Amino acid sequence: MKNRQMQGYVGAIISVVLLAVLPLKMGSHSVLSLMHLDVSILSEMLLFGIAAMSVNLLLGYTGLMSFGNAAYFGLGAYGAGLSIHYLNVNFIEGALIGTAIAFIGGLLVGPFLLRRRGIYFALLTLAFGQVFYFIAYRANEFTGGEDGMSFSRPYFGFPGWHTDLHETTFYYLMLLVFAAVLLGFWLIVRSPFGRTLQAIRQNELRVRYLGLDSNKFIFVALLVSAGMAGLAGALYGLLIMFAAPLMLDWQQSGDFVMIMILGGAGTIWGPIVGSLIYVIGKDIVSTLTQTWQIYIGALFVICVLAFPRGLLGTLLYAIARRDVGAPVSEEEVAHKTWEHGGSAGTPTGAAVAAAEQKES
Amino acid sequence: MAQTLLEAKNVSKNFGGVLAVNDVSVKIEHGSIYAVIGPNGAGKTTFFNALSGFYYPDGGQVLYQGRDITTMPNWQRVQLGMSRTFQTPSIFPELTVYENLLIGVQSQQKIAFKLRLPSASRKKEIDAKIDELLGFVNLAHLKDRPVAELSHGSQRLCEIAMSLSVDPTIVLLDEPMAGLAEAETERIMRVIRDLHDRLGLTVLFVEHNMRVVLSLADHITVLDRGAMLAQGTPSEISNSQAVREAYLGQEVLNRV
Repeated sequence: MKNRQMQGYVGAIISVVLLAVLPLKMGSHSVLSLMHLDVSILSEMLLFGIAAMSVNLLLGYTGLMSFGNAAYFGLGAYGAGLSIHYLNVNFIEGALIGTAIAFIGGLLVGPFLLRRRGIYFALLTLAFGQVFYFIAYRANEFTGGEDGMSFSRPYFGFPGWHTDLHETTFYYLMLLVFAAVLLGFWLIVRSPFGRTLQAIRQNELRVRYLGLDSNKFIFVALLVSAGMAGLAGALYGLLIMFAAPLMLDWQQSGDFVMIMILGGAGTIWGPIVGSLIYVIGKDIVSTLTQTWQIYIGALFVICVLAFPRGLLGTLLYAIARRDVGAPVSEEEVAHKTWEHGGSAGTPTGAAVAAAEQKES
Repeated sequence: MAQTLLEAKNVSKNFGGVLAVNDVSVKIEHGSIYAVIGPNGAGKTTFFNALSGFYYPDGGQVLYQGRDITTMPNWQRVQLGMSRTFQTPSIFPELTVYENLLIGVQSQQKIAFKLRLPSASRKKEIDAKIDELLGFVNLAHLKDRPVAELSHGSQRLCEIAMSLSVDPTIVLLDEPMAGLAEAETERIMRVIRDLHDRLGLTVLFVEHNMRVVLSLADHITVLDRGAMLAQGTPSEISNSQAVREAYLGQEVLNRV
């Protein structure tokens, strides 16, 4: 157990170091330029990773199929874009306003979503997502309608100090944000609250019959998820300096779900692994062939059929199984404990029944 | 001394015009083992679900310690001191036995909503409570196994332990022997007796195994086609002409 925890910490550190080293120049070429990549792609990967994590909290941990998280993502992007465009706010303010708007969006639709479960919950998230999509689409004068709206990226800074964000510094900022979100996510899922969410995924009725108002837990999970997706969306808007209705679209929501499932639902690192694959597919394979979606689609099909736990999820599961050893039958365990004189061992029910029969 | 803990007053429940439970009244006294019996389709489970807040009755009242809880959400009833099990064990299959109980103990300790991990001393308290529960149902040796890997009988014991984890006053057991082998039935019967004798809990259970009911319960209500057929002590029930004629059959009673 301790050993596994150690492995987790080491893995996390290695991953962050790797992500930090990726954009560094090696001689005259950066690692990325060797792959014909731009640093902004890495930022995109991290932000899509956060968005997929927001879906993961709902689907992977709480068991709620959300097909509307792009709504929060888009609200974040629009929140940042509109506040920068109309209110001239700075970078941090823009990001926070975007996150807050998405959070408010979650606050508005949450009470309705709570009333349904399963496929109806999924349909409701989809429907609400499309509502926001059409608002952005129709509010022409304000949001630029179908064409979307471009805005400039403000300086990043605090009172007394500010700096221009170039793609590389932007990336390191994103890495910082990503690490913070990941840490927060980890703290949530291992907390009593997070454990209860996972229990809700497995058996909500039992959670209620343990005296817990599952709706309260789900509502908070929805809000956290909306905030995370909103933060990712706001920063994504700031990355590409653009917000468009398509960011709120159900297709975008579907992409987040796909990213999460590719990597591994219910795992902390799964979404970022999925995001890596997705971004590679979108930005690298698409330079090689126009039909890149076929390959991503095929990978998705293979993944769902062969690795239903996702790529990382399957790997982690295999490691966990190896650690535990081959499954033993319950009887064997009981027998062993009994043999070793463990206080836990009990005479079997059959023996008791026989004894009782003798008495009567 | 005998104080009414849970009471159903003229409870009715219908499903699309079918009257599943018709005007059933039951008084469960503090410290009793109460059984609701009846053949399949008698409305036992429907009545049980109406009491435990799985759904609400269409007519009548449910009172807990004199308080009207007819339309109280099920999770609030649990906080009042009513917990229950289901015919098919309702558990968290992927979690270990320990983790299953942990969810309940977190609820009982009012820390389920917390983001902070429990302190070391609190953790000790929690683990001690879980060990106590495991000891009670004799599942300590299976503590770290996913519940899905357990036998049906052990899953049921795990569920009973879960229902105890919230410190109930009354435990409602819905057909606790359903689908169990004879040996396992004995095991569960001992646990039910222990619930009453050792933990001092009030027990309400639904069952159609006559032998089990007559040997465990001190009060019995017999349901037939949704209506009350008879009510009384085991000897009153086994001597009741109405019950004999209606459905028990002479043969069953002779065996007991």
